[in-house]
Amino acid sequence: MWIRLRRSLNGFYNRVDPLIVRCIGHKRLYTFHSPGVAECIPAIPTDYRLTVQECVTLWTRHFQLRGVSEPRLSSQYIIAHLLGVKTLESLGQDRLAEFLTHKQMEQTWKLCTRRLTRMPVQYVIEEWDFRDLTLKMSPPVFIPRPETEELVGLMLADLQVKQGTGVSEEANLRCLEVGCGTGAISLSLLNSLPQLRAIALDKNKDAVELTVENAHSLGLQDRLEVHHMDVIRDADMIVRMCSPVSVLVSNPPYLFSEDMASLDPEVHKFEDHDALDGGVDGMQVIRHILTLAPQLLSNNGRVYLEVDPRHPPFIQLWAEGGERGLRYVHTHHDFTGRPRFCVLENDNATYIKTRTSI
Amino acid sequence: MFSKSFVNRICQAIWRITWVPSVQHPRFIVPAVGIGKVQAAGKKDYIDLPALNEDELDEQFVRGSGPGGQATNKTSNCVVLRHNPTGIVVKCHQTRSVETNRKRARQIMREKLEVIYKGEESDILKNKKESIQRKQDKRKKANENLVKKRLFKEALMADSKSVDDRG
Repeated sequence: MWIRLRRSLNGFYNRVDPLIVRCIGHKRLYTFHSPGVAECIPAIPTDYRLTVQECVTLWTRHFQLRGVSEPRLSSQYIIAHLLGVKTLESLGQDRLAEFLTHKQMEQTWKLCTRRLTRMPVQYVIEEWDFRDLTLKMSPPVFIPRPETEELVGLMLADLQVKQGTGVSEEANLRCLEVGCGTGAISLSLLNSLPQLRAIALDKNKDAVELTVENAHSLGLQDRLEVHHMDVIRDADMIVRMCSPVSVLVSNPPYLFSEDMASLDPEVHKFEDHDALDGGVDGMQVIRHILTLAPQLLSNNGRVYLEVDPRHPPFIQLWAEGGERGLRYVHTHHDFTGRPRFCVLENDNATYIKTRTSI
Repeated sequence: MFSKSFVNRICQAIWRITWVPSVQHPRFIVPAVGIGKVQAAGKKDYIDLPALNEDELDEQFVRGSGPGGQATNKTSNCVVLRHNPTGIVVKCHQTRSVETNRKRARQIMREKLEVIYKGEESDILKNKKESIQRKQDKRKKANENLVKKRLFKEALMADSKSVDDRG
């Protein structure tokens, strides 16, 4: 009797749900798998087909209903990916009006259902772009952020200026990345600088494997070494194995521990917290990197860091505190105007060759 | 290094001083390239495009009001570029990379400025006209060929029919 009552209620909802009727105009679009409208997943239409545009609209509405962030973009990226393109913008109007095959609709439903769990789009489609590269993405390895693209741009601009001065040792340009994640920074540098050799480190085994996989996909594996190492625990081994390098780069975990709990579900539920949490003041890993930098860098070698907007003044203060072995060069702002990147240079004149405590 | 509350107090002050969202013009770092003759998107010939002065441009992004960076994972990477002297606005979200969208927005801006500055003499407009003309010529020729083929076939059938009649 209870089941019969629920079925008739479902039928009622199906007939009068204004959102569904406005959306496509077809009845009986929804079936209910558990109590409550909020829990439903739209049923795949079996007796008719949807066009690309209709499918995007349907899932946009559904993501909105379920409170999923960026509903339209999520829907567009997922369906574009299934159609073999990066963005829907690259399809013409006629393709948007084409019908999806049943197989494509099944794939759409499968991927969009994953997005309903608040899984980031990049993990749903298992890839994303970073500058001119397409990289594989896989949870829980940290997804590269758009700000970090600027970090690479900044480094390339500096390195190209250096090359212009004809310094011959740049023929053996070596770069070390701490916390490589998907390999975005190292691979992007390798792709743009044919003479560069890079070493990438990460304390997470999944990140190491993913970086290696991405390197192979891009044909850059010959100029990249990837090691499963922790910059804090394996500091001595890192110095022995890797120095000297001309460039040290990192996008280290820099969030404040107290901010971790208020992160969006996309970040909090799916990405590696070790790649985000920088301790009480967000600078735990940054400190270790800066301490090691003078031992790792060659003369006039530089360290580039992406940080929280609150960090640059403290890092500058620390560097100018004397006898750190590093000279503070500049704070660069990101495209939103936030202080985001710190550049420091090896300064042997002031360096005392003992581990300085902070 | 410092106590948490001290850090927070200093940060509030410094953030107010150094970070003013969406008013600053962050310098877009572009590797030194020759300005002047640039290959316009998709065209074979090299076209003189006007150089852009970053000081005359305003850029807008959707990145939220929080600290950004690692704290958020948003996939919106639409770039809105405004050229202040002319008021031209270019929106670009063609790719999934913000940096690529920024570069493309600038390229599109340069093409639009070329049209504005050169008017009738614009190379971009000329190229467009030429390509439309080429397409029309191609279509015309294709149609003519079809007509020729049809007439030939009809003539062939008429010939074979008259042979049958005679035989």
